[in-house]
Order: sequence, then C-alpha cells, then structure tokens
Amino acid sequence: MMGKRLLSMFVASAALGIVMSHAEAKTVIHVMHQGDPGWVTTYGEVAKRFEAANPDVDIELIYAPHDAYNEKFSAAVMSKQMPDVMELDAPFLANYVWSGYLQPIKPLIDQDILDDMTESNVAQGTYPIDKDLYAVGLTDSSVVLYGNRKYLEAIGARIPKGVDDAWTREEFEGYLEKLSKLEGVKWPIDTFRGYGIKTEWITYAYGPILQSAGCDLIDRKTWKSVGTLDSDPCVDTLAMMQQWVKNGWVVPQSSGTNQFFAEGHPAALAFGGHWFYAEAAASMKDDIVVMPLPKFGPKGASPNGTWIWGITTASEHPDIAGKFLSFMLKDKQYRDYAKNDSAYPGLKSFAADSPLYSAGGPMAVAFEQASKTAIARPPHPAYPTITSAFMQAVDEIFNGGDVKAALTAAAEKIDTDIEENDGYPPFDEQQ
Amino acid sequence: MSDLAISTLQTQVKPERSAVGSLRIVQTASILVIALVIVSPLFMLFVASLKDDRFQILADMGSFRAFWVSNPTLSNFAEVGNLSGELAFGRYLLNSLIILASTVGAGLIVNSMAGFVLAWGSLRGRALILSLVIALYVIPQESIIMPLVIMVSRAGMTDTFAVQIVPWIASPLYIFLFYQFFAQLPKELFEAAQMDGASVFRIYRSIFLPLSLPALATVSILMGIETWNQYLWPILVTQTDYARPIAVAIATFFGQDSIYWDRAMAASVLMMIPILALYLAFQRWFVSSFVGSAVKG
Repeated sequence: MMGKRLLSMFVASAALGIVMSHAEAKTVIHVMHQGDPGWVTTYGEVAKRFEAANPDVDIELIYAPHDAYNEKFSAAVMSKQMPDVMELDAPFLANYVWSGYLQPIKPLIDQDILDDMTESNVAQGTYPIDKDLYAVGLTDSSVVLYGNRKYLEAIGARIPKGVDDAWTREEFEGYLEKLSKLEGVKWPIDTFRGYGIKTEWITYAYGPILQSAGCDLIDRKTWKSVGTLDSDPCVDTLAMMQQWVKNGWVVPQSSGTNQFFAEGHPAALAFGGHWFYAEAAASMKDDIVVMPLPKFGPKGASPNGTWIWGITTASEHPDIAGKFLSFMLKDKQYRDYAKNDSAYPGLKSFAADSPLYSAGGPMAVAFEQASKTAIARPPHPAYPTITSAFMQAVDEIFNGGDVKAALTAAAEKIDTDIEENDGYPPFDEQQ
Repeated sequence: MSDLAISTLQTQVKPERSAVGSLRIVQTASILVIALVIVSPLFMLFVASLKDDRFQILADMGSFRAFWVSNPTLSNFAEVGNLSGELAFGRYLLNSLIILASTVGAGLIVNSMAGFVLAWGSLRGRALILSLVIALYVIPQESIIMPLVIMVSRAGMTDTFAVQIVPWIASPLYIFLFYQFFAQLPKELFEAAQMDGASVFRIYRSIFLPLSLPALATVSILMGIETWNQYLWPILVTQTDYARPIAVAIATFFGQDSIYWDRAMAASVLMMIPILALYLAFQRWFVSSFVGSAVKG
C-alpha cells in the first residue's frame, strides 16, 4: 500500500516536472501597450493567434493607461523590467533611443513591411542622429479642419479642394467672425480643448499652427527654444488664438469633445484628428466637409506621428519580438479593426485597402497633407520637456495669461533642461 | 403680572421666535444646498450609467438632461461585469475587494497594536519612536514611490496581491490615531488588568480593543478609501489582470482619442458600491469618533 502511494506520488511529481519543464521551455515576450477597450481586445486576440501559430512562445501583454504610460515605463526601466516590445508615442522616440532603451528594428522586421512603410511612417520611427529605424507602425496620423456644410454655405465660405487651396489666416478668421453671428452656431470652432493638457493634443495639433506662421517650438538646428518659441510670429499666433477664446469662438474645455456633431451642432468647425471623422460622419452624414488645415503664414503645416512599436534593448529574444511585430502588422483582423477605427495609414498596402484615405475618398485631403505639409514634432531627447512646457504655456494663455511671458517661460524651461543635460550629446554637435 | 406686562413680554418673545424660525429656514436651506452639491454628481453618475450612448452622455452633461434618462438600460453594467476575457471588469472588482479586505484587516491589527504599545507598552524610547512616526507622516507617498518600486521588484513581488497590500498595512497616520485614542483611556483600566495578572497582549485584545470601536471604524473607513482609490501604485507594480484593481481598469475607458463615458460611468458606479457600503456600515462609530475628538480637543 505504502509502495503504491510512493509510486503514484513519484509518477505525479514526474508528470508535474514534465509539464513545468515544458512551460519553462516557452519563450515569453512581454508587450507593453496602451489603448482603449477596442484596441486592448484586438491586441489580446492578435497575441492569441500568434501563440497558436507559434506554440513555443507566450505573449504577455502589459497594459498601461494612456495618461500614466510614461510613469509605467519609467518604473519598468528603474526596476529592470523593461518589456521586449513597447508601444511608444512617436515624438518620444528620440528620448528613448538617446536613453538607450530601443534597438534598431530593421534587422528584426520582415523586409516586405519595411518596404511598405510610407515616408511619414519612416520619419516618425527614425532617430535623427544615426538615421536608423527604431520603430514601426501600421498607422500614422493627421489633423484636418472639419466643417458643417450647412453653416459654411450659409456664410458663403469657399470650400478648399485640396491642400494647395487651403484657407489663409485672413479667410479663416473672417469665417470665424461670420460664423459667430450665424443663428444656430454657439461656437464657431472646436479646437478640442476638451482633451486637456494631460494628453499630447496641444503640442500635436497647435504646434503646426506655429510652424505655419513661420516659427516653431524650438530651433531645429541650434536646439535652442529662446528666440524661437517666444519670437514675434509665435507670440502673434498664440495671441490670435487667445483672442478667439476671449471672443467666445472656441468650445471651452469643460464642454467636452463632441460639440461639432452633438445635437443641434453647436460648433461650426472642428480642428480635429483623423480619428474624429468616423464618429462625426456617422452622425452628420453628408453635412460634414473635410478641409486642409488653414495656412497661418507663409506655408501650410500639419502634424503627423502616432503610437508606434519598438523593440527594447532589454529584450533577450529580439528576433522573436520582431517576428511578433511583423505578424501583428500583417494580421488581417488587426488591420480590419484599424480600418473600422478610421486609422490613418502608415503602410502603403493598408492605405490601398483604406478607401477613406485614397484619392477621391472623404479623407483624401488628410492623406494629401502627409506628403505636402506634415512636420514631425521636434525629434530631440528633450521632447518630454518641450511638450510639457509648451502645453502649460498654451493653457496659461488660453486662461488669459500674458502671451509673451508664458512663451518665454516655456522657452527658458526647455533651454534649461537641455543645458542641464549638457546639450544631450551628440545633439549638441549638430549645431 | 399685569395685562400690560404680559402683552409687552409677548411682543418681546414674538420677534425672537420669528428670528429662530428664520434661522432654521436658512439652516435647512443651507443643508439642502450642501446635500444637493454632494449628491447631484453621484446621481448624475448613476443616471449616466443607464444611458447606452456615450456621445449623448457627453452632450447631456451641460444641461439638466444629465439628471434624466428616458430609455434606461443595464447594458453598460453587463459589459463591465464580465469575469473573464481581455477586460474582465468583474475580475478587477474582485481583485479590488481582496486588496481592500486584506489591507484594512491587516492594517487594523498592525496599527492598533503599534498604537497600543506606544501608548501603554514598556518599550524604551517610546516618545522618540512616536516622534519618528509622526515625522514619517509628512513624507508624501509620491516621493518614495520609485525607490519602493525598485524594492518590491527586487523582492520579486511585482504583479501580486501582496505588493498592493503589504507596503500599505502600517501607516504613521493610523498608528498615531490609535495611539491618541488608547492614550485617552483611563490608566486605571490598564493597572487593574495588570493587577489581575493579564498580559499586555491580553489587555490590548480583551479590554482596550473592544473599547476602541470608534477608532477602528475611523481607520477602516479612511484606510478603505485610501486603498480603494490607489491608482498609480497598482499601475507601476502590476503587469497583468491577475491582481489589477478596478481603478486601473476604469482608466482604459479614457483613451487617447475617445472617452467611453457609458462604460466608465457603469464601472464607476460598481466601484462606488463597496466603499459606500463600508462607510454606511461604520458610519455610526465614525461620526462618534469625530465628535469625540472634537469634544476632547
């Protein structure tokens, strides 16, 4: 009896040992990401499909909320628990590469995907020092000017046909004034202040307004902000925007982000991201007009860049991490979800499969901006400081603060950060 | 008393009565306004959780429609009540309850014992220890959070329930609160029990602890709220659904481009229920503790 019991225990232990050694044999790839419930589910399903196709690999998804993503990543770095694959906001790429967190991705990703990337996609994943590719994505992004056709017709506004035909600053401000007096219009424009200052929105969407007006957040040759961000064109442009707010032309932050298509259509124009189209068009049908961003100065400018994927230097299995990324970027269901979410194409094959953005499509003008007016946010390791300082300045300005003082304070904060980091070598040698 | 005197007295009393009446009306109105300010957001949250159109919720927020739902639905609750899948909110809620019960349960024992020892124990340097405990209270959690992350990570505690419970069991604030309560109890109680041969632990467990219901209730509620609302810490120390609390899960609805108000509201209502129940359960002692503190100064 005792012998049988011992034998059965031995067999059970051996079986457990086999199971455990089998489990240990699996390669675990940690993938850190953000996203809303739809994306979280989609990533989970992609991971399951990859695991089914690669039974020796476990994909462990690490979700971090969008507003605490950087804190989560910092904690992972400090506790030496960096993931293998990470989603990152494109303008933060230079900072991550400079800090040594990301590795060149070209040797790890399928060549057909690399060949499929749009120029803007390559630009958002490229580190300016070695010009190497460190991240890749299925998507990119842009901001356009949405208009309510009925209101625009009521004031006799000219509807631009393409990017070259964009409204000038004078036209734009003239229309805002006319719209402010039009019955039914509560606010001439929604600039999506509702996104607040905890997201990238202000730098992402308002930065190009400055660039169009002839200035920038920072001089991209000397990497100095004083003299650029607080220069006359920038002060003038943000004073103009402050005046819109003072005039009551802009949807206030407290009114949320859907006043353009909410009941009664209280906002006549919307300075909104490409992702806004699906929701707005579903509600407004043919009443929605998609226009290029106005020219606020000598040239047109529009934003680009979105959340893209990189492989960290901490990965012990970069080849498998790359294999997972290639799998995901080609995954049909993943692409279908992105398409239904009106995602802006970053791969040519995805663009060809997205009638929304192809020539003649309702968002064609948004895709046209990518090749004609898109300007990436400053690809510099000081970007986290640049964006935070600029967002605080804009918030202060919109709340009635002194424009010049707010921009000077932001510019000084940026320059101080760069000085404190000895110019972020070798960025200081670029001058 | 002459008729004239009575009539004069009545005329003196009448204005006083009417002044008291006016004061009561003002008091009642003020209480009603304060109650309305406190209750209306909660009511709005509950109403919004019964609406299935997230854009409508947002559009209604600026008007009285925020307090009315014409076609109530429980679909949002159904969506956030799942116990498995990619976003298992039922699971997250369960995780939160486990963390809450364990932290508060262990916190009551550890902090009350520490408070008792500091008040009545024979430990040397109690005054110094008490000063250090009070000094620790002024250090904000955020300032030590990163070193703490490194510590728990090196200890191999990440992504566990323990990592969300153990660091927050002992708290300078609650130790001090218990100390203050125990120190106010009559010295004779302690001495009488000692003369009867009771050990220090026996005195704590059988005499002082049963007398400290108001302190226990206060600490339960304060600690419960603190634990329940933890957000940054669980984000930093958890990786998967295994031990993640609902506060982190709700943040999923606040995406980069869109906010899913419908499900966020339903999840918030679900999240509110346990902590509200905790408060209601301990409310009587909680209030008496505060009143007692105020009277005793």
